[in-house]
Amino acid sequence: MDRMSRMDDKVDALFAEYRMACPDPEPSADFMPAMWRRIEARRVATVSVFRHWAQVCVMATVALTILIGAVLIPKFQNNAAYSSSYLEALSAEHSADYIHMLAGGPR
Amino acid sequence: MLVEFELIERARSGDDSAFNQIVQAYRKRILGTISRTIGRPEDVEDVGQEVFLRLYYSLDQLRTPEVFEPWLYRLTVNAAYDYLRRQRRRQESRMSDLSEQQVMLADAAAGGKRQDEEQRRTKVRELAQSLLGQVSEEDRILLTLKEVEGLSLKELEKIYRVNENALKVRLFRARQRVLKAFGAQENKEAAAKAGFSRADDSE
Repeated sequence: MDRMSRMDDKVDALFAEYRMACPDPEPSADFMPAMWRRIEARRVATVSVFRHWAQVCVMATVALTILIGAVLIPKFQNNAAYSSSYLEALSAEHSADYIHMLAGGPR
Repeated sequence: MLVEFELIERARSGDDSAFNQIVQAYRKRILGTISRTIGRPEDVEDVGQEVFLRLYYSLDQLRTPEVFEPWLYRLTVNAAYDYLRRQRRRQESRMSDLSEQQVMLADAAAGGKRQDEEQRRTKVRELAQSLLGQVSEEDRILLTLKEVEGLSLKELEKIYRVNENALKVRLFRARQRVLKAFGAQENKEAAAKAGFSRADDSE
């Protein structure tokens, strides 16, 4: 117990001495310029990351537009439902009904 | 506080000259804390610049200027912790550096050279750093802030955002480890002295 308290005191004294043995260092003349260079470098890196993502988004949008314009729209336009007019489609669908009605047959 | 609240407000709103003044006011204190925490004088400025870089990009998240100092210390703690973790990978080479320095010191003492103030300080630094190296990086920083920097538990509570009891437990455990290492060091030195005097007697 006595040894522990003696060691406690010694460690306290050592830490106090350590504090004095390591005084606050004077910053070098280059400290501030180097810090601002790092801030600027980070800013440029952040901007370039955003720019990169913006470019990726633009490219993806262009690719999607081309895909829609070149593949999907022509595909739907070639569908029979879209190549005839509304009346033609209607008459094709109900032509049998008209024949039955004219013949006086079942509706 | 080393600066006015108004200056912090200006820096928060993007005024670079206000930020510059804050750095100039705090840099010496922060470099001192880093120096005593990491124990590598050649890397102190690098870690210090990292602290102020983080401050620059996180200043807009500061709620009020009143909590500026704990905020700055938290950034310092985090940067020191990151540095110490990186250094752990190179620990083997670092240990060999230290042992080389210790051998040189021992040689100087054995050769009967005058131990001037700087040598004594170097020895204190090495001993304190080797003891602090016995605990984890987190505990090393916490212990340094409490025992060496002299921060109060209240101040540490604000920095770490944990309650006082949790801090006390962590500090107690870390100190116990340091005491154990100190005891082992003392025993080793006593054994070395005994061996040395036996060798003298036999001559």
